[in-house]
Amino acid sequence: MIAERLEVADGQLDSVLGRTSPVVKLGIAVLWLIGLALTLHPVPPVLLAGAALAAGLTLGGIPPVVLGRNLAPVWLAALAIGLSNMLFSAANGDPTTATLIQLGPIRIAQEAFVAGVSIMLRVAAIACVGAVFALTTDPTRLADSLVQQARVPARFAYGALAAYGAIPRFTEDLAALRQARRIRGARAGWHPRLFVGLLVLAIRHADRMAVSMDARAFGSGPRTHYRTLHWSLLDLGVGVAAFSILAIALVLGR
Amino acid sequence: MERERSRRLSGGQQQRLALAGALAPRPGLLVLDEPTANLDAEGAAALMQALGAIRGTRAATLVLIEHQVDRAWPLADVVLSLGHDGRPIDVGAPDDVLARSADAMRAAGIWLPGETARSPLARRARDEGASPDPLVRAEALRFGYDRGRPVVRDISLDAWAGERIALVGPNGSGKSTLGRLLVGLLRPDHGRVTLAGDDPARVPAATLARHAGYVFQEPERQFLAQTVGDEVRFGLTDEEHGRVDGLMQRLALPLDVFEGRSPYRLSGGEQRRLSLACILVRRPELLVLDEPTFGQDRLGYEGLLAILGEHLDEGACLVAATHDARFVDDVADRIVEIGEGWIVRDEPVAEAAA
Repeated sequence: MIAERLEVADGQLDSVLGRTSPVVKLGIAVLWLIGLALTLHPVPPVLLAGAALAAGLTLGGIPPVVLGRNLAPVWLAALAIGLSNMLFSAANGDPTTATLIQLGPIRIAQEAFVAGVSIMLRVAAIACVGAVFALTTDPTRLADSLVQQARVPARFAYGALAAYGAIPRFTEDLAALRQARRIRGARAGWHPRLFVGLLVLAIRHADRMAVSMDARAFGSGPRTHYRTLHWSLLDLGVGVAAFSILAIALVLGR
Repeated sequence: MERERSRRLSGGQQQRLALAGALAPRPGLLVLDEPTANLDAEGAAALMQALGAIRGTRAATLVLIEHQVDRAWPLADVVLSLGHDGRPIDVGAPDDVLARSADAMRAAGIWLPGETARSPLARRARDEGASPDPLVRAEALRFGYDRGRPVVRDISLDAWAGERIALVGPNGSGKSTLGRLLVGLLRPDHGRVTLAGDDPARVPAATLARHAGYVFQEPERQFLAQTVGDEVRFGLTDEEHGRVDGLMQRLALPLDVFEGRSPYRLSGGEQRRLSLACILVRRPELLVLDEPTFGQDRLGYEGLLAILGEHLDEGACLVAATHDARFVDDVADRIVEIGEGWIVRDEPVAEAAA
């Protein structure tokens, strides 16, 4: 369920990565993604994915099962993307390229293979970085950190947080609507009317949320904070380490 | 509770959280729209105490919108009583308003402090000879929305036709979840439910709808149509269609006025009555209601009581999860108290009162 995936266990939040400023982690994730986009070499994605996984499992306290369950679908998607790039590459029809595999009418050129593997590795690496970030970051702390440490407008950050918090609400609304249909004798299963109901409930909820935020004077001036966040040596350490790993990966992948 | 997800809280807990959020910044003006609806007795008392403290310091102006005025009345400096047309019936000091306008307010269906309903349902001893089997039997139910966090821990409960059971207990104790288990909208992790001989979670929806009715705590989550008329007629048989007009009239939602309105644009109390009408019109054998009385003025409450009474006299079984002590007094002949997923008390009302 989506709802379950949005939960971050206490063990992960209290870990070294969990205590690192979410803005620092977000910055690292973005930097690493840019790094991954800059290179076609297979070494950087493998190295960065490995580093992210190792950090997530040790410094992040993520149980291997949880990490695996979150990554499996994205890795499958990465495999599918890699394979389709390999099979449908223009290089396969170009007779000047070196043939790597010939299976009946299917010919895979060496360039196609390299390109396919490269894109697969990069998608898988992006998934690893994203999963480790999400599994060690409490959404509320991310919003706090964005507002206090990155100077993002409170109205925007907490609005986004509220929208994010509403995602699990969808599954609950849907469950309630389906129960309501069942208790009134309508067959189970999918009905277009369910989507209308969901939409109405979502709009009503957004409406109430907007009123609540206005009632709490969001966007009206300086705010105080319940949790005050400070930069720490940990943030510096994690930032420097992550930057070094990226630099090493890019140098090795030249 | 710091890391508890707010959406996981029960309806009453959510209400208290919202109140805490509004109280925390110490506002100069605080408007509370039926703040004690869905609160357990303890929560309602705690809230009133907090409001009393604010009133004591004169730090904020409080505007309290309420139907059930017993707790709120002593706090008020000024009472404004509004009629159906939105015009004030009276405004002034609480005692003056009572002295001047008690009759006019009563005529408009407004609750006065300390007042009880005019027609509580007659209590009856269960007819032991009627049926040897319970209408619904729950055996060793366990259920949790998340693994390792059971909401209902181990509940066994038999309910017979003709019984009127009040499910009481603090916010978050598992009343709503138990209600949904009884009508098969949720499947227990362990144990089983038998309703009229079948597992209600496995019978076809049409069969379930004949045997059981369930009214959700949040009316908006059960609405399936765009207009009040379509909503109350959703999936009815021809016979049931014939009852719609009269029922809506008695619930103060006459269809000549409300037919084309959107269910979502009704007031909270009207939404509650519409959600009840949708289920009551079917006259199911087992009627499970989750907080049936919130947002009701005295007219709405007494109308509901009369309709429920007629239906129950035909032998239906009522299970109502409620914090409304008045409703328990007026309706229940058996009280089942839930605490943290267990039944902590189950006794006929006469003994409970003794």
